[in-house]
Amino acid sequence: MKFTFVPEASPLEGYTIKRAIHRGGFGEVYYALSDSGKEVALKLLNHNLEVELRGVSQCLNLKHQNLVTIFDIREDRDGDHWIVMEYIGGRGLFDELQRDPSGLPIEETLQWLSGITAGLSFLHDSGIVHRDLKPANVFRDQDTVKIGDVGLSKYISESRRSAQTQSVGTVYYMAPEVCRGHYGREVDIYALGIMLVEMLTGQVPFDGETTAEILMKHMTAEPDLSAVPEQLREVISHALEKDPDQRIQDAEELERRFRDAANAMDPLDFSIPSRKQPAGKGSPGPEKARRPKPIAEADLPKQSGHGPEKMAAVAEYWNKLPVLLKWVVGGVLVVGVLETGLVRYLTSGASLGISVYLGYLLASRLFGSKTPGPSSAAPVSQAQQPVAVAQESETVSISPVRKHDQGYPHFVVQEGQRYQRGRKLRGKEVHLNPATPRVISKRHRFTDLTNSLSISLTATFLVTLAVYMTTSLLPRVVHAVYFGSVTMAGAWALLILCKLREGRIGDVMMRRLLQGTLGLGIGFLAAGLQHYLMLSGDLLFEAPKSIGGSWVMGRVQMADGTGDPTMAAFMSFFGVLFAARRWWWQTDSFRTSRFRISSTLFTLLVGTVVAGILHFPGTLGATWALAISAVVQLSAGWTPQEERLLQQETPEAKALTGIAANMQSGKQTPAASG
Amino acid sequence: MLQSIKYSHLGNRRRVDSLSGSCPERIRLPAAAAVRELVVSNGPARSYMLWIDGVGAWQLYAGNAFSFGAPTFESVSADVTLQANISRRHATLHYESDHWRVSSDHLTTVSGRTVNSAAELRSGDQLCLADRVKLGFRIPSILSSSAVIDFESNHRPPQTVDGIILMVDHCLLGPTPDQHICCPDLSDVVVLYVQNGFLHCRSSLPLNINEKSAPATFPLKHGSVVDGEALRFRIEEIR
Repeated sequence: MKFTFVPEASPLEGYTIKRAIHRGGFGEVYYALSDSGKEVALKLLNHNLEVELRGVSQCLNLKHQNLVTIFDIREDRDGDHWIVMEYIGGRGLFDELQRDPSGLPIEETLQWLSGITAGLSFLHDSGIVHRDLKPANVFRDQDTVKIGDVGLSKYISESRRSAQTQSVGTVYYMAPEVCRGHYGREVDIYALGIMLVEMLTGQVPFDGETTAEILMKHMTAEPDLSAVPEQLREVISHALEKDPDQRIQDAEELERRFRDAANAMDPLDFSIPSRKQPAGKGSPGPEKARRPKPIAEADLPKQSGHGPEKMAAVAEYWNKLPVLLKWVVGGVLVVGVLETGLVRYLTSGASLGISVYLGYLLASRLFGSKTPGPSSAAPVSQAQQPVAVAQESETVSISPVRKHDQGYPHFVVQEGQRYQRGRKLRGKEVHLNPATPRVISKRHRFTDLTNSLSISLTATFLVTLAVYMTTSLLPRVVHAVYFGSVTMAGAWALLILCKLREGRIGDVMMRRLLQGTLGLGIGFLAAGLQHYLMLSGDLLFEAPKSIGGSWVMGRVQMADGTGDPTMAAFMSFFGVLFAARRWWWQTDSFRTSRFRISSTLFTLLVGTVVAGILHFPGTLGATWALAISAVVQLSAGWTPQEERLLQQETPEAKALTGIAANMQSGKQTPAASG
Repeated sequence: MLQSIKYSHLGNRRRVDSLSGSCPERIRLPAAAAVRELVVSNGPARSYMLWIDGVGAWQLYAGNAFSFGAPTFESVSADVTLQANISRRHATLHYESDHWRVSSDHLTTVSGRTVNSAAELRSGDQLCLADRVKLGFRIPSILSSSAVIDFESNHRPPQTVDGIILMVDHCLLGPTPDQHICCPDLSDVVVLYVQNGFLHCRSSLPLNINEKSAPATFPLKHGSVVDGEALRFRIEEIR
C-alpha cells in the first residue's frame, strides 16, 4: 500500500508524520507527533471534501468517552484539509475480526456492543447520525471502545432527512433505505445489527461478488442467521428489518434486548456455533453432542419429496446435463414423437396425467388449506429452525426464505450457499427472473420488441426449414409457407403481448386470458389462410382423418365431413395452447437462458395434449407448438444474469448503479479501510 | 509525489529539532541534517524505533540483557520503560546459552509463578510486574531466538508502540504471524540484524534505502527509510 507522505514529512505546521496508519474511505490516515511529542492521528481528506468537512465541523466539539475526539481541522500549504484527531493505539474491531475469523466470544461482543451503544446513543441524542458505522470505524483503547469517523455524521432534522443523497459508507453495513437516500438513525441500528452478526459468526450476513450485488441483497434478501445462537436471532432480525419503521429504534433498546437474550442463554451455548473451529482452539465436545444432527443441503428436498419437488428434482437433473446431450436427447425425442405416430398415445397418456394432476391440485386447494400442502411448502420460521450447522463438512443448512416485507419487490432468492475452498460466499444469491418487477422505459421496451420481431423472421425461416427438411409433415413448399406464416403470426402475437407487459406485476390469469384471446385470433388467421391457400383436404391433416369423418364437441363442429379441422378447431386449439403456457417466461429478457430445450419440449407436450383433446391434427398441432416456442425463445431479447441488476431502472437500481460506480472507482473499498 | 518530497525535507529538519532538544541553538543551523549524522551515528546504538507504514510501530532492542522499569528523569532509565507503578529497574530479561531468563528483586511472576531472584522464560509465558503490569513473552520464529513482548494490560511505554522486540540475533518482518513483525502484504521476509555493532537489513526483495536502490544487504542508519513494493519503514535510533 503506497502512501502520499513519507515518514518525517510535516505537511502541517507543528506535526511530524511518523508513519502511515491506513487508507480509509475518505483519505489517508497518519500517525504523527506534535513538536512537543503529543500523539495524534492526521487524516488527509482527498475525496468528498465538502461532505466530510461540513460533517466534521459540526462534530468538532462533541465530547464523549466513546467517541474519537477531534482536535482540529487544519489546512496545509497546498490547500488540503486535515483532521487532527485523537490517536487510538489499540486494535480496532476490524483487526479483532480479522484475527478471529470465526467470531468473537459473546462476552467480548457484549463489551464492544456496550461501548458502541454508549457512543451511538450520545450521537443520536445530539441529533447526529453516524451513517458509516462499521468495524473499521470502531476502536478500543485501553478497554474503552471508541467510535471514529464521526465526520460523516449528519444532522437528522426532519427537513434534511432525505436531502443527503451522497452515497457513502461501506456496503456491507449499509441499510436498505440508504439506497433511497434516507439517513435516519435507523441506518446506524441496521449497521450495528450487521456488526453483531459479524462479531458473533465472523461473517457479514450479506456478501457478494460486486457491491451492487451486496446492496441488492440488503434490499431484498433475508439475512441468514442460522449461525447466530437461536436466542439472539429474534433481536438481530429485528435490528435488520428492511423497513426502518419496523426496526429497533434506538441503540440502547438493541443493547438491552441483546443482553437480555444473551443472559437467557444456556452458558454452554455461549460459544457461538462456528462453521469451522480454527486450529488450536479445542472444539467444545459436549456441545457437539447436544446439537442436533447437521442437516446438509441435500437433505432438505428429501424431507418434502412431493409432486412439485419431484418435478423440480427432475428439472434439476435435466439442467445438469451437458448442453450437447440436451440437444441430442431433445432432438431424438421430437423426431421420435413426430415420426413414429407416438403422438396419439402420448396425447391420451398426457391428457390422463394432466387431468389427474389438475384434480389433485383442485383437491389440495379445496381440502388442503388447513394443513400445509406440499405446494405451499410451509415456510418454517427461522426461530423454529434447529441450529443446524455442519461442523466438519463444508456445507451449511439454510433456513427457508421468509416472505419479504410488504412494499419490497419479491425476488427469487436462490437458497444454498457453498463455502468454497479459499473464498467464502456469504449471503444468498439473488437471481432476477421474469417475475421480477421492474421499470422498463418505453424506448427500451420498443427497441427490444422491434429487435425481437425482426429476429423472429429469420428464426421462423430456420425453424420452418428444419421442420420441412427433417419431417414429412409438410409435403410441399406451399405447406411450409403456410406453416411458417402461422408460426410467425403466433410468435409475433406472443412477443408483442409479452414484451409490452414485461417487468410489470400482473394477474397471471389475466395474462393467460389475453394470450388465449390472441390465440383465438391466430386460429382464425390459420383457418382463413388455409382456405385462402386452398390446402383443405390435403395431406397436412392426415392424422384426424384416420379417426374418421366429422367430429362434434358439444355443439361445436371440430372437423368437417372430410376430417379437416374447422375454423372452430383452429381457434380453440390456438386459444387453449396460448392460454395453457406461461409464454412470458419464454419471452422475458430475464428468462433463465436464451433457449431452453426443456421449455420447448414441454410446449411440444402441451401442444400434443391440447391437439389430442380437441381432435386437432396431432402432429401438426404439436409441431406448431414446438415451432412457436422455438421461434419465440430464439428471437425474444435476453439479458445475461450478470447484467440484469444494473439494467433495471428502478430508483433503487439507479442508486445502486451510482454507488457501484463510486465504489469501483476505488473510493470506498472495504479492504482498504482496515 | 512532489509534495511528499518537499515535505520530507521539511520533516527531516523537524526531526532534528526534536532530537537535539537539549541544544536549541542547533535548530536553526542550515546544515542541521549533516550535524545530526555526526552526532547520532557516532557509534552503535542499542535501541531503535521502527515505524512501518500501514502496520505499526515497534521498539527494537538489540543485545542480550534488557532491563524493564518505570521512566525516570534524574538518572539513566531502564532499557524498556513502561508507564506503570513499578520500580525504575524492576526486572531484567537475559538471553544466555540458548535460554531466556528473567531476574528481578521486585515482585514479578512468570505465568503465575513468583520469581525468586531469577526464573526461566518460555515462549507463551506471561510476565507480570508488580501484580499489575502484564506482558506477553513469545518467541515467534524457530529461526531466531529474538523475543517479542506484547502488552496485555494497559501499561505502555510513554510513546504508543505495538510491541517490543528483544533482538538477540534477528528481527524478521514477514507475511506470516510466525515472524516477529507480521506485515501481511510482504511476499518475502526482510531480516534486520546487527553486524559490527550496526543494524543491517537483508532481503531478497528489491528494496530502496532513502529512495536509492539498495543491495541485498545494507546497513541502516538513524532516519533510514526503506521501501519496497509492499513495505515502507523508517528506523530511528532512540538514543
